[in-house]
Amino acid sequence: MIFNIFKKELIDTLRDRRTLMMMLVIPILIFPITLNLFVSISASFQEEAAVKTLKVGIVGDKNSYFAQQLNEIPSEMGAKKLMFYKDSASLMTELKKDSIQLGIITEKQFNQTLEAQLPARVTWYFDATEIGINERAEQYMKIIEVKAQQKRYDELEVDFRKVTPFQTSYQNIASDKKMVGQIAGGFLPYIFIAFGFIGCMYPAIDLFTGEKERGTIETLLTTPVARWQILFGKMMVVVLSGLLASSTALLGLFISIEFLDIVDNQEIMKIVHEVLSPLFIVSMFSLLFPLTIFFAGVMIPIAVYAKTFKEAQSIITPLNIVMVLPAMVGFFPGIELNFVTACIPVVNVVLATKELISGTLEFGYLALSFGVMVILALASVFVSYKQFGKETNVVS
Amino acid sequence: MIKVNALTKDFPLSRQQRKELNTEDKIARAVDNISFECHPGKVFSLLGPNGAGKTTTLRMLSTIFTPTSGTIEIAGIDAVKYPQEARKKIGFLTGSTGLYARLTPVELIDYFASLYGVPKNELESRKKYLFDLLNMHDFLGKRIGKLSTGMKQKVSICRTMIHDPEVVVFDEPTSGLDVITAENIIKLIRDCKDQNKTVIFSSHIMSEVDLLCDDLAIIHKGKIKHEGSMLDFRTTMQESNLTAEFIRIVQS
Repeated sequence: MIFNIFKKELIDTLRDRRTLMMMLVIPILIFPITLNLFVSISASFQEEAAVKTLKVGIVGDKNSYFAQQLNEIPSEMGAKKLMFYKDSASLMTELKKDSIQLGIITEKQFNQTLEAQLPARVTWYFDATEIGINERAEQYMKIIEVKAQQKRYDELEVDFRKVTPFQTSYQNIASDKKMVGQIAGGFLPYIFIAFGFIGCMYPAIDLFTGEKERGTIETLLTTPVARWQILFGKMMVVVLSGLLASSTALLGLFISIEFLDIVDNQEIMKIVHEVLSPLFIVSMFSLLFPLTIFFAGVMIPIAVYAKTFKEAQSIITPLNIVMVLPAMVGFFPGIELNFVTACIPVVNVVLATKELISGTLEFGYLALSFGVMVILALASVFVSYKQFGKETNVVS
Repeated sequence: MIKVNALTKDFPLSRQQRKELNTEDKIARAVDNISFECHPGKVFSLLGPNGAGKTTTLRMLSTIFTPTSGTIEIAGIDAVKYPQEARKKIGFLTGSTGLYARLTPVELIDYFASLYGVPKNELESRKKYLFDLLNMHDFLGKRIGKLSTGMKQKVSICRTMIHDPEVVVFDEPTSGLDVITAENIIKLIRDCKDQNKTVIFSSHIMSEVDLLCDDLAIIHKGKIKHEGSMLDFRTTMQESNLTAEFIRIVQS
């Protein structure tokens, strides 16, 4: 009997364009479209930046210190054109008008201070909202400063090594897999959780509140089927929709990585292929399955209680933030799966998935996370059962 | 056969509802100790103004609501103790019944037949009988959402009768329907009577009751104000017409 209800509700759900959009179309298209857009835009910006001539304003003439130094910097670092101004006020006016992108203003006695082997003050002006200008200024200044420093060492006849007490290097011992896990590990479960929630939302509202609103629930309740069977049949469709939405989102992400040349680094591509092993997929679904039941179990009592689609939507949509916000914990470094975090719903799924990708997961904590999610899923199913059993909730 | 004895239904009132109704009572009594019997081959009408308790009574008969107290017997089954068993014997139709707009009539009928446990060999002959009777063949493959009101009403009737119920419950079945569409329902009620089924229907329209029913009960504020045969009602009435008599009884 549960299967009959499940089958009918699934057909009904798959014929609903709105649900279909949220469950399959958007999750599968969102990553190819957004990542493709992101890659195209950033590539076009890079191309534009490479050919764009940077106009640098200097107070003085072509014989001034910075004019000479900048002219010696090879054009491979990016094309530039020097513009000369009589005073700093006219330079600043042009900078604000975006006629120039960088402005250099030095102290009045700049050359004398430099010759006296004292620190000479120089200020670079730029608009930080323009991408890459700050970096270009820092690169130029570093070259000029190293050159000036070397000149002073020579003048003072000081061996550079004698004023450099350490040769320091910082070596990262984390494997590439662990690094990918740390960087992308938070992102993947976030996608799953966000789409899992959205995937559950529309079928939950449609199959419970919608049925009330359309006046079909009354006839369903007069059939010789127990209420718990009706609830389970419908709930199975809600859970399946959530799992389908998150799986199609992952598929969309995989298609983007595999076919859109987003990741240039072959090592990272190798790791991505390694991560997507059958064991990883099984482990992840073992966490997602109870989580999706939990989502359905939270939404169904609301959908049963609400009298209209709009009312249900207005309660469940803010709940999205409450449920999905903890999933952002995966973006923060240093938070690990331990006894405490394994007991926090949503957070445990995110951290377990992250560590699963990094290859650092302790299976004891995975079991604990799974256990916690199963208990919560069962509790939420029980609440749904109680709410669905209330006759005033079901029939308006 | 339907036997109702001392049936009562209370609904808890929320704080908001108490405020709206300006009452301190924590419960509202929708149906108050009512008793009646409906017999096979006869049409029983539950007549009353809006909010009288008709729908609540019929929802208890069809086991959607559990009574606060009292007993209900449907075709010999204690409907309070064994609601699922009782539901197998009931066909339920309301004027406000919705249908699954994204399914076709055939899919919908098959779905409900599966819920009622109609055997496959019986289902085909039952479907053919009802589709022929209601002249439904032209729109069987269309989505219900795209059907006219009359076509939808035929689908509703077919759904109600697919398991050949012994007892048929109609809750204001013609409300919101035009006369042509309502005629399908009137015909259905007459057919049910001819097939010796027990029929109960609620209405607030006296002319409809006069047209169809053999026995009637007038309900007001959850209590039965009059019960008897339609023949007795006509012969003993004090007013000049049926509607005026109905109003007199309700206001007495």
